[in-house]
Amino acid sequence: MTEITLFGRGGQGGVTLAKLVATTYFLRGKYVQAFGVYAAERSGAPIQAYVRISDEEITVHNQVRAPKHIIVLDRTLIGPHMLAGLRTDGWVILNTSEAPEAYAEVFRGRRVATIDATRIAVENGLGTKTVPIVNTTLLGAVARVYGLEVTDIEAALEEMKFGGGNVPAAKTAFDQVRMVELPGQPIVPVAGEGDERVLSLLDERLVGDEPTIHTGSWASRVPDRHELEPPCNHSCPAGNDVQGFIQALAKDKVDEALAILLKTTPFPGTCGRVCPAPCMDACNRNEYDAGINVRELERYTADHGKLPLPTKPHRKQPIAVVGSGPAGLAATYHLARLGYPVTLFEAGGELGGVMRTGIPAYRLPREILDREISFILRHGVTVRTGARVDRQRLLGLTNEFAATFVATGLQELRALNLGNLEPEFVEQGIDFLDHVRRGERALRGLDVVVVGGGNTAMDAARSARRVGAASVRVVYRRTRKEMPAIAEEIDEALAEGIQLHELVLPLEVRRNGSKPLLVCQRMKLGEPDESGRARPVPDTGPDAQFDLPCDRVILALGQSHDLSILPEGAEMHSEDGSVLLGLSGSPVLAGGDFATNEGTVTAAVGNGKRAAWHIHRTLTGEDLFPPPAKPLAAPEEISMHVFSRVPREEGVEMPPELRRRSFAEVRLGLVDDPGHRPALVEANRCFSCGVCNQCDRCVSYCPEGVLVRDGVGQYRFDYDYCKGCGVCSSQCPRGVIFMKDL
Amino acid sequence: MARALVTGNYAAGYTLSLAGESNREAMGCAVGAYPITPQTEIIETVAAYKFSKGRMVAVESEHSAMAVCIGASLAGARAFTASSSNGLAYMVENVYMAGFYRLPIVMIAVNRTLGPPWNIWTDQSDSLMLRDTGWIQLYAAAHQDLVDAILLAFRIAEDHRVLLPVLVSMDGFLVSHTSGVVELPELEQVERYLPNLDLPHRLRHEHPVTVGGMTFPHETEHHRKGMIDAMDRVPEVLREAIEEFEPVFGRRPRGAMAADFTEDAETVLIACNTMSRTLKNVIRERRKRGEKIGMIETRMFRPLIEDELRAAIGPAKRVGILDRNISPGSGGVFWREITSALQGHSDVLVQDYLVGLGGGDVTPAIINEIIDDLVTRKRAVAPIWKEVAA
Repeated sequence: MTEITLFGRGGQGGVTLAKLVATTYFLRGKYVQAFGVYAAERSGAPIQAYVRISDEEITVHNQVRAPKHIIVLDRTLIGPHMLAGLRTDGWVILNTSEAPEAYAEVFRGRRVATIDATRIAVENGLGTKTVPIVNTTLLGAVARVYGLEVTDIEAALEEMKFGGGNVPAAKTAFDQVRMVELPGQPIVPVAGEGDERVLSLLDERLVGDEPTIHTGSWASRVPDRHELEPPCNHSCPAGNDVQGFIQALAKDKVDEALAILLKTTPFPGTCGRVCPAPCMDACNRNEYDAGINVRELERYTADHGKLPLPTKPHRKQPIAVVGSGPAGLAATYHLARLGYPVTLFEAGGELGGVMRTGIPAYRLPREILDREISFILRHGVTVRTGARVDRQRLLGLTNEFAATFVATGLQELRALNLGNLEPEFVEQGIDFLDHVRRGERALRGLDVVVVGGGNTAMDAARSARRVGAASVRVVYRRTRKEMPAIAEEIDEALAEGIQLHELVLPLEVRRNGSKPLLVCQRMKLGEPDESGRARPVPDTGPDAQFDLPCDRVILALGQSHDLSILPEGAEMHSEDGSVLLGLSGSPVLAGGDFATNEGTVTAAVGNGKRAAWHIHRTLTGEDLFPPPAKPLAAPEEISMHVFSRVPREEGVEMPPELRRRSFAEVRLGLVDDPGHRPALVEANRCFSCGVCNQCDRCVSYCPEGVLVRDGVGQYRFDYDYCKGCGVCSSQCPRGVIFMKDL
Repeated sequence: MARALVTGNYAAGYTLSLAGESNREAMGCAVGAYPITPQTEIIETVAAYKFSKGRMVAVESEHSAMAVCIGASLAGARAFTASSSNGLAYMVENVYMAGFYRLPIVMIAVNRTLGPPWNIWTDQSDSLMLRDTGWIQLYAAAHQDLVDAILLAFRIAEDHRVLLPVLVSMDGFLVSHTSGVVELPELEQVERYLPNLDLPHRLRHEHPVTVGGMTFPHETEHHRKGMIDAMDRVPEVLREAIEEFEPVFGRRPRGAMAADFTEDAETVLIACNTMSRTLKNVIRERRKRGEKIGMIETRMFRPLIEDELRAAIGPAKRVGILDRNISPGSGGVFWREITSALQGHSDVLVQDYLVGLGGGDVTPAIINEIIDDLVTRKRAVAPIWKEVAA
């Protein structure tokens, strides 16, 4: 009869390995027996399991005390106690990355085989994310060492219904196991008087006394904590701490939430209305039920939080900011908060740039914009309106100011030649929106076609509707999927009766009697262009050209730079997201759409902030740029199953029939009701990916009670007693606790 | 018949399931079950079986588990369950109920030490607690004995000459959690061996009765006499069940007790469960050295077939009992019972050894120490407490 002892830890699958080995021989017609020594201690505790193999019925039911072979599942268990009773004619099989020779002392004169089963198991995805299961892998090594065949492994794994990665893992181990007969005389321990037993967990020497076992020594892996970068924060062009402000809001601390936002942006009320919100696309909760409605939460925070008292300048170096769009205002805000006296130059009469002229009031009410600009200015900012800065004046500024930031936006509008038409027939969208804002446009009864797929196109179309157009069609040369406009705004436009014609390119306007017609070409999508989007190419099929009734065309094809402000020979180079102009005087930076053409308020806000940091670093040497981002909290890091499914709070919007003729705000946001506060519900849906929010789930689930939270919210593992079971890590909903090898 | 490598628990759950399924053309089967270490895998195995007629009812306690079995059995279904240790203790009231209602329920007791102090390993204090409940008790030493005992159990319990429930015990972990090689029966064989259950006193819509109602003393006296007579008929029914077993399953199960090397033995040891197999290995070795020594494995404890026991002991001068159980203030339960059986028939020396309490590993070395003590013993003393520990 051959007897084998296995040494492992509770949870590693040692008993199952014993059964696998027994099954291998059972299938070869042998009598076998396999069992473990069960004890009250579970995960991580040292356990033994036994296998007996015989040609006759096995009538022995005792623990194995003189094994021919031993198999060790966990290298941290290896020690001279394994020699007790061990015969010298068998094999010692060790799960370790080391060569057999590494054990030349303890196992000298014995036949030793080693295999890195843990690595192979991990590579084959065996076990949980916290504990690799090595038993099926080790079977491969065992089979090789005992002179069995690969077919024996396959048969045993199939018999015990192990498929998937188990089979290749076992075969890899079969190939990779290293077998050596170590030199020297084997150590053969002699049992003491009346003491023939191998020390086991059930031994009297280990029970009955005070608990002197530091169970931390049982661990092969231990938990540790790290924070990961939430995908929302990672994707925010303004660099907002999205996770942070939502978690504050989740605790009903709206002022704290606003303070967190104000660290990075002066425009939470604006961005909370007009941001395309890449954070919402990046949100891990999209993989579960529906992503967090971050935009509405930001708006709620801005509308309900209390603004702090503005600071006043305390530094000497004056800074000039040219252009009062979102980039210029953001730079102004951050510089002013850093204590610089800022002078803001604006060519027009009002501040806000495209936020004021290009975004209709039904999306961004003027009082919201005015409130946020006013807050910026109250930080001791000097404003010069009607002050156009040309290239001569810019050179002057470099002498008067310690630094200058230029963010004059995009002034050149892209055009489209539709034939020889009267001037009022075609209008640029940006101009149209500014005229509407001033109450200078009425399109009563006209058929309007808007060309383009961005936010300006949507704004122009919806504004045209509001100033009386009989019909509004948006024509776009790609499909809805490629449209740069905010998805919700497209939905809202369609709800207001605007028609969208995808894959259509306008060619020219033709008169048919008195009624003008827009001749259009059908397009189809071809290979991707340099922007990565599919390139539209003309469709050559029949009916590829058609007419649309059209009294007015509004162009929204995007804008480009007006570089006339730049002095001749000014060299531009990028650094930390800002563009530096190589001029002789004090530093000049360019930003916003003028420099980057990123095209959103939020991107401009981030750009202005980085310019402010850049100027601050140049003037003081102090670096406010954040350290390199932590690893991203990917969806697989999140234990989504611990969360309840909760529908997303969408917020309230005005019904389409009421808004078609009104410039009142369409979206009313997350509205508090007695007994229901949707903002609170929505904030509490946040997973807080990769960032501990002190939910204490790890503490609750630690089966050993070795994880404690102290009074200031710090968690401490008692590694003296942590067995490395991994429960805290598997229960951490947000990927903060991970297991590290010892 | 399929040779299989399975745990004792799986073997039990599988055999129980086939027994339940084989009654599908009568009133089907029912299981009331509540899990407890080391019994749980039996319940899992039964729960996974797709019965054609019958089901498992998951309940909130062992007391209710037996209540389900009682109700189902009274309705004529083949009812069975399993438990261990403190679970059996909680079940006790209804265990009596099943016995005194004369219901042919079969229950597996996976032997586990009663707590406190808390302990999950094997000893027989749990099943022996049920000694006086009117249940027949079988003890299975290892996997094949277990399968066979379960099949015999239904056969005996449902025989109209008996109509008593049967408890089948095995060692926790040493059998329940140990993978061993066993011949598992096929459903067709079980159907041939177990006739459809026909409970004479089952409840019928057309003939409503009250079961277990208030009685006067003389009625209860007659009820108890009926149980005594039923127990007396068990040896005869068991013999028949064994005879009819072999043609169906191709092997002969062991009976109420199994005597080895006793014909000329001066010293006889008595044990049950896995301990009896260790004992047999030791005795085989000692016989090789010329020692006149034998053994008896007690497979049926209720009823204890006293004349068979006396015959098995034969001319021995000394009897040693290995008791893995304790009745505090008395001694080993087997020892008291066997001593009573020999009373007035023999002046043989009977010595009790309390060994392996709480599940310690009773090794050949320890059994040799006991035998060394017994063979030189001139007179019996109070039960000897033999520490095993590991």
